[in-house]
Amino acid sequence: MTFHDAAARAFPPFSTDACIKCNVCTTVCPVSRVTDEFPGPKYVGPQAQRFRGPSVADDSPDHSVDLCSGCGICTRACPAGVLIAETNNRARAAMVTQRGSSLRNRLISDTDLLARLGVPLAPLANIGLRNPVARWVGEKVLGVHRRGPLAPFARRTFRSWWKQRGGATTLASAGDPSKTVVYFHGCAVNGFEPDLGRDAVEILERNGYSVIVPRQECCGLPFISNGLYDQARRKAARNLASLAEFARAGYRIVGTSTSCTHALKAEYREMLDLSGADATAVADATWDMCELLLDLHDRGELDARFGPMVEPLPYHPPCQLKSHGIGTPAMDLFALVPGLRAFDSDHDCCGAAGTYGLKVERWQIAQDVGAPLFAKVRASGAVRAACDSETCRWQIESSTGVPTVHPITILAESYRRADAAAEEPWRRVG
Amino acid sequence: MPRADVVVIGAGLAGLSCAAELAERGASVFLAAKGMATTHWTHGGLDVAAPVGASTARDGVRRLAAIPTHPYRWLAPDVESAVDGHLRRAAAEGLEHGGSLDAPLVPIPTAIGSLRPASILPAAQAAALEPWNGHGLVLVGFRRYRDAWAQYAARNLASGAWPDGPTEVTAAEVDLPGTDDLHNVNAQTLARLFDEPAWRERALRAIAGALPAGSARVGLPAVLGLTSHAEVLADAERILGRRVFEIPSLPPSVPGMRLFDALRRRILAAAGRIQIGFDVVSVEREGARISAVHTEAASRTLRLAADAFVLATGGIAGAGIRAHPDGGLTERVFGLPVSAPPRDQWFSDDPLEPHPLEAAEVEVDAELRPAGVDNGWVIGSALPGMHCLDQRCGDGVALASAHRAARSLAGSRAAAA
Repeated sequence: MTFHDAAARAFPPFSTDACIKCNVCTTVCPVSRVTDEFPGPKYVGPQAQRFRGPSVADDSPDHSVDLCSGCGICTRACPAGVLIAETNNRARAAMVTQRGSSLRNRLISDTDLLARLGVPLAPLANIGLRNPVARWVGEKVLGVHRRGPLAPFARRTFRSWWKQRGGATTLASAGDPSKTVVYFHGCAVNGFEPDLGRDAVEILERNGYSVIVPRQECCGLPFISNGLYDQARRKAARNLASLAEFARAGYRIVGTSTSCTHALKAEYREMLDLSGADATAVADATWDMCELLLDLHDRGELDARFGPMVEPLPYHPPCQLKSHGIGTPAMDLFALVPGLRAFDSDHDCCGAAGTYGLKVERWQIAQDVGAPLFAKVRASGAVRAACDSETCRWQIESSTGVPTVHPITILAESYRRADAAAEEPWRRVG
Repeated sequence: MPRADVVVIGAGLAGLSCAAELAERGASVFLAAKGMATTHWTHGGLDVAAPVGASTARDGVRRLAAIPTHPYRWLAPDVESAVDGHLRRAAAEGLEHGGSLDAPLVPIPTAIGSLRPASILPAAQAAALEPWNGHGLVLVGFRRYRDAWAQYAARNLASGAWPDGPTEVTAAEVDLPGTDDLHNVNAQTLARLFDEPAWRERALRAIAGALPAGSARVGLPAVLGLTSHAEVLADAERILGRRVFEIPSLPPSVPGMRLFDALRRRILAAAGRIQIGFDVVSVEREGARISAVHTEAASRTLRLAADAFVLATGGIAGAGIRAHPDGGLTERVFGLPVSAPPRDQWFSDDPLEPHPLEAAEVEVDAELRPAGVDNGWVIGSALPGMHCLDQRCGDGVALASAHRAARSLAGSRAAAA
């Protein structure tokens, strides 16, 4: 039985009947910890749910549910199995359906559109992103906080690199499913962090896998978080249409963003009610990349010849990763790297929560939520930090000044060091 | 997932304590729980044993150990080192305690103005254990805080019998600065405010101003800080100029949150791992041995392989045991046999009397091993034979059973090595 089965047993809002009003969810909520405006998961969830009608047209008794950042920590803390975060996300979506959404929310959720506009204009667009006047205008006109963590656009998309490389994109060109994986790059790798995608491909190929990069779009999570379910369903439908044939043919779908992979595994079904065979096949086939590498290691199939990386590394497991229920595979992989002193941030949430920390009216909340994490990262003296979700990386980096990378970036670099040492033994260190 | 030496299932006092001790002993430990547990609902003190008539917790343990079905019949010898170990661990994380197994069980006031016996309490509550010697007690309430009513508690305490208690009990209501502007005033919002030094100074001055002259001790709602608790307590005694103690009230329990956090940090510091939020959904067996458990996950389950498995999932109230409409009861993780009265005896006329279903628990041997599982241990309130509410032994049994299981496991690991 998986989390999905639990959701299937009871439509999430029905699970609120199991609430015993113990307030444990409120004690772990990072948002209500820092702002009195949000009464906490119990009040806007199980408590308010009793007053919400079955139709999306019914008025919500509690608009403060929109302050929920969607981190999901409440659902995991609940001793009674109430799907609190899922219930609250649906309540927000109902509110958005009824009251409409801002242009800002529709725009910052449409990451594919942003990348389509921004990448061709990257040098110019990135000057704009760094320009205080442009950011001030963005704040006043759009409501995107002037200091909100926005990553610079890539000069070239990951897909264009893949095309130039002649990489496989179709089922017809795919090899043996046991030695071939589908890479789900998501919008962030495509438009903002293509180097991470190249590192992922390099590691997969090094471990004997062929990679296919089929047609895909943003997973839709930013739309889900903003209550824009119709737009999210359109993204999801196109992704499922493209990915399901691979899943059914036995290919694993691997992603480097724990947010995207969690959307594929869980949120398409739990939030968007996409319960068809395609959604189930894709969910069952989807792996977080560190989860996959650790699975290979458990089977003795991972190339464990990592080169030394003598450095302290603060690692922040993002909320979305924790919702996977797969432990912290990056930490297990870091343990294989000689010299690497990785340590868990032991802090709940960085505050960014996707697009939440960009919004002018939420930015301060997001900063306050992440403040203890930022202090730990700064105090560590580390030259960089690691985290598996993109918007969390951008938040940590912009709030601490410490470059923050995906664990895969660290592992790829470690492999390269091993190669360099093998070729030039005098370079061997540590 | 790399193999662990031990998987502990459950994140209450028993599971946390067992995981911490095993990790300190050098075992690789993975603690898995379906959610947070009772720490956040309870008072944060240690109920080791206080059956009616007991003079100290040690005496209470002795009396309970004489009951042929009580877990203390096996665990009594472990109580002292278990409690010592727990207090040492808590102190290492900044959570000091007062009292001991040999301190007299004395009546201390509750948030509703009743009395309960206690002898080991966190430092913030421990002034309630000291002899009253002619001192009075003033209970302080906060105007916007609705989970503790000082006047009500003071009236109940003043009208009831309190042997060797304070000379008088009065109440004072205080307006804490800035709380009028808040939407939400509960124990944890106040505790977080007390963590801020500037606000705390103003709040404590406001409390000092509301106290009657004299040397009466001060009973405050248990909200004296979370992250800076020790400083808050020291500032409170300094600014109020008298002995101060916290009185826990409705959940969320701030003392319980402190306890949970201290043990959680202890486990992580000893390289243990914790995953909360995912229930165990299946078990792999090889004959009478459990080889792995699987926890639910977003898609495929997480396989946790280990040499040993400790069940700390709670009794029927903690949902470690499930009742079914047909009257059947099952232990939820391993499906162990559960002893229980028949369905028509599940009712009791007096809500404060021991409930018949409290007897519904997992059968184990003296080493806490359940029948039919060679590498499993059962600890905490899933153990049979106790009535925690009136014997007040839940924390002691949790700690002693956790310690027994950890010792037993360490012994079998040493034997295997």
